[in-house]
Amino acid sequence: MQSDASTTPKPAAASHAHGARVEIPLSAPVPGAAAGTAASAEIAIKVRVFSSWYGQFQALKSIDLDIPARHVTAFIGPSGCGKSTFLRWINRMNDTIPGARAEGTLELHGDSLLGKAVDVVELRRHVGMVFQKPNPFPKSIYDNVAFGPRLHKTYTRAELDELVEHSLRQASIWSEVKDRLHASALGLSGGQQQRLCIARAIAVGPEVLLMDEPCSALDPKSTLAIEELIETLADRYTIVIVTHNMQQAARVSDRTSFFFEGRLVESDATENMFTKPRNKQTEDYVTGRFG
Amino acid sequence: MPVNLQSRVIDLRRNLLALGALVEQRVGCVIEVIRDGDVDLARKVRAGDAEIDQMQLELEGECMRLLALGSPVASDLRLILTAMRVSNELERIADMCKGISKRVIRLVESGNYRYPPALVQMAEAALTMLRDVLVAFSNEDIKLCLEVRRADSYVDGLNREVVAWAREWIEQDVEKSGAAIELLAVSQRVERLADIVTAIAEDTVFLVEGRLVRHGAE
Repeated sequence: MQSDASTTPKPAAASHAHGARVEIPLSAPVPGAAAGTAASAEIAIKVRVFSSWYGQFQALKSIDLDIPARHVTAFIGPSGCGKSTFLRWINRMNDTIPGARAEGTLELHGDSLLGKAVDVVELRRHVGMVFQKPNPFPKSIYDNVAFGPRLHKTYTRAELDELVEHSLRQASIWSEVKDRLHASALGLSGGQQQRLCIARAIAVGPEVLLMDEPCSALDPKSTLAIEELIETLADRYTIVIVTHNMQQAARVSDRTSFFFEGRLVESDATENMFTKPRNKQTEDYVTGRFG
Repeated sequence: MPVNLQSRVIDLRRNLLALGALVEQRVGCVIEVIRDGDVDLARKVRAGDAEIDQMQLELEGECMRLLALGSPVASDLRLILTAMRVSNELERIADMCKGISKRVIRLVESGNYRYPPALVQMAEAALTMLRDVLVAFSNEDIKLCLEVRRADSYVDGLNREVVAWAREWIEQDVEKSGAAIELLAVSQRVERLADIVTAIAEDTVFLVEGRLVRHGAE
């Protein structure tokens, strides 16, 4: 499958107000030579002939994909198709699963994400994750956001205050919590908790945000707030979102990748995937004829 | 009512083709009206327009319901968008048939009904185009759509012949200029009818391939 070049490049990333961010050299734009590649955009994550297993079971089969920087890429597909497995390889969450292993190329700006030499803690600072169910720590709102940065660096109180405010503002929740920063995060609504988790993820200055069905536990209003936030964040972060909600994929993403039975069936600009997919399986899936 | 998108899209396609068949029948009648100056048939064509208007409204309403409630994508979305346009275009063809019938009645009743062979040939060509485009829609046949688009220039050529014939008629007998102008209005509607069929062919290309080929685009 050859993708087209219709993804519109977005502005370059804004530098973070708080220091400590390790600049990973950006690779040059690559031609869309492989299946699922974005032909014209700067590539953040490069995947070639990537396969993974849980013990004897092969969960992912020879994936070729380019994930463009500072765009939103949605992974869709029926349950068990491998999309969440693939997402979890990007920040090595699968390391904790016995028998999980992978082969092939998986790179962030040219640096391999696989192999024992990778500092997984450092990797997860660059690649944050937001889960299906909001999972704030049983701490104050302030401490939730400050938790990650405190692990990595010593901040003055003023610096930390600024970082917390900046992160909460980026996550579009500052105005709702600024007067109760030291109240328990568990007192927030589900939608607020999820935005707090996004603030917590971006407080450590990641480049990539992985979102595993981030709205599936939220009501429509909170879902809208998260979707608007995703759009805002896409100017600064490379976002990869797994969703079962195809309307959500259509609304929030620039590119969509369809997985089925461990294979990447088709990856293209979202507009094309939902109006004129090239592959019959994609067509059948997005129109609800199977899966 | 729950939206079973797949079955309702199938019904939508079937109902659109049913509307197409009815409009095709009207165009067939209009050929007889023009050729024979059949006033009774012309009145029936005029009276039958309300039935087509009602079918078009029902189709458009169903398209809006499916868009609002069914969250269609890909081929389903293309079919619904196409059905909205094509149902409207078919209704306009029926309006053309009504307008042609009205003018033929007027000409026959005034005792001034004459026409050149090119007018009947135009109407027959337009009917062939309509039949072909409905087959192309049903079979999702892009090649046939492009043939329909090309056939439009043949109708345009015949229209020019009718215009030349009417000019000559006026030059020969200036008192018949009112009738000649009325006849030109008939010819113009047949020509417009073929243009609308061409638009349906272009819509069908969008249905099949998702490409917009209007306004001369390949």
